[in-house]
Amino acid sequence: MRSPTPFAPEPGSPRLKRRRESPHDTFWTVGAGGPDAVYGERVLLRPDGVSLRLFEPGRSKLAAGLARGLAGPLPRPGERWLYLGAATGTTASHVADLVGPLGRVYAVEKSLRPFARLLATARRYPNLCPILGDARWTERHLGLIPPVAGVYADLAQPDQVGIVLANCAEFLRPEGALLLALKTASMGRDATPEEHARAAHRQLAATFDLADPIPLDPFHRRHFLLAGRAARGPGASGSSGPPLVPRVPERATSRPAGPRAGPRW
Amino acid sequence: MAVALRMFRAADRILFVGPTGPVGRSVRLDPEVAAALAGDGGGGVPGELLGELLRHRPAGPLAAADPVLEGTAAALGLDPPVGRAGRRAARARGWPVPSAAEREFYLRLGALRLRQALADPVETLLTLAREEERLERTSRREAAAAEQFLAGAEGGPAEYAERWARFREGLEAHAALLRDEVDRRARALLPNLSAVVGPRTAARLLARAGGVGPLVRMSSSRLQLLGSRRRPGAGRGPRHGLLLRAEGMEAVAPDRRGAYARSAAGLASIAVRMDAVDPTLRAERLLIRRARRLAALAREASR
Repeated sequence: MRSPTPFAPEPGSPRLKRRRESPHDTFWTVGAGGPDAVYGERVLLRPDGVSLRLFEPGRSKLAAGLARGLAGPLPRPGERWLYLGAATGTTASHVADLVGPLGRVYAVEKSLRPFARLLATARRYPNLCPILGDARWTERHLGLIPPVAGVYADLAQPDQVGIVLANCAEFLRPEGALLLALKTASMGRDATPEEHARAAHRQLAATFDLADPIPLDPFHRRHFLLAGRAARGPGASGSSGPPLVPRVPERATSRPAGPRAGPRW
Repeated sequence: MAVALRMFRAADRILFVGPTGPVGRSVRLDPEVAAALAGDGGGGVPGELLGELLRHRPAGPLAAADPVLEGTAAALGLDPPVGRAGRRAARARGWPVPSAAEREFYLRLGALRLRQALADPVETLLTLAREEERLERTSRREAAAAEQFLAGAEGGPAEYAERWARFREGLEAHAALLRDEVDRRARALLPNLSAVVGPRTAARLLARAGGVGPLVRMSSSRLQLLGSRRRPGAGRGPRHGLLLRAEGMEAVAPDRRGAYARSAAGLASIAVRMDAVDPTLRAERLLIRRARRLAALAREASR
């Protein structure tokens, strides 16, 4: 009988395992929230009691990024991460797996229905802190989110880059990590997805050392993953002087009541 | 179990501190409460006074949405019964509020905010209107796909046709209930706007704007194009968005619908401001103006 393929830890994140399989490698996260599946994914229970959850590229943009060759930065055990646009907690639960029981994931979600499911997921995870609120208004979460080692954003908003920059300025530690799942379909139809991705890359490159945008086709159409680290310490470091990360553009801060208030061309 | 939400007072202001730092901005105290607390050391306010402070919180919708006050309420909800010795020990340290574990704090605060948001009539109407719009779109797409399938397979498998008919029946019943509920709530919340453009269109405008406040602040030209998927440009831009479904639009000739959308947007922007001030029906003059405009457009078409 053929022995099962071993799980090899990824160098960037020890709680992320890669399994060599045909036709594609699969990625698994070491479960931090018990042995049960969160959203119906495959779960393997090892004899030592450790559960491994399949990280499906079709369900998660981070997993799709890994499948398309994302090298990092990735959440590491013990780190605190801020997750913007957590929705029902599908990817957030995997990020919580990656940071492990000693880490924390602060998951911000605005919509009520997904938040109700996120809350149910968070009851299982000892390290997932759900926050109902708009990621646009960073000052409303000041007391709830400490400085974090990384920000993961999956926001379907026209000004998603501005929102991410504002949150990084407020919460990201110096040389902190950024993973942005860019949904170009939300950014207007006056440019191609590639042009939107390049524009976002240019906007973020002033603050972050970014790798080239990773297209997430065929798993998620018209999506890109932007990954990198803050080039210099942003405002959350508590250092003197003005914040180095540019503030959110005027349009994003002056709009009074969330995403629907803006143009929807 | 301990609630990681503490409250500090400096002169006439209080500041709430969550597990990782201050929660929101500081809140100005009611002068009476500030006077009552004048004898306190200033470092902290005893936990028993939280309820007292909450009773003195500023009135009005802004206060109700204040995350600081929500956090305080959450702390009150979390406050577990602790023994007398525990209270005494905590008081001796200067801060007597018993607190829960950090994660428990987030869970309870999240649940509290969710409950508050779900109880908000505007938020409920927003959710229902979005659901109704989505359902309409989905059922239209589903119906087209099913009919295409049935036509392609020479009537389709009998079992599939039967299942589809049952599903469609259920879906239509659900959609009808949803529409009724949306209409009822829109009439209650936005009576004047509902009278001018119809309750469902009013609800959809509200959902697209994100609330009554943003809708009130919109200019009528913005309102006219709200929900349009095209961008206005130098050439022929869009003439209407959601207002294409406004009441009376069906009687207007297709080439004059943009003109009617412009008029309806003007009336709608007045109506929604009336609703924001006082949600009682007093749109008689707006309805007269609407009827006059419809009659003028009908005359233009008949020429």
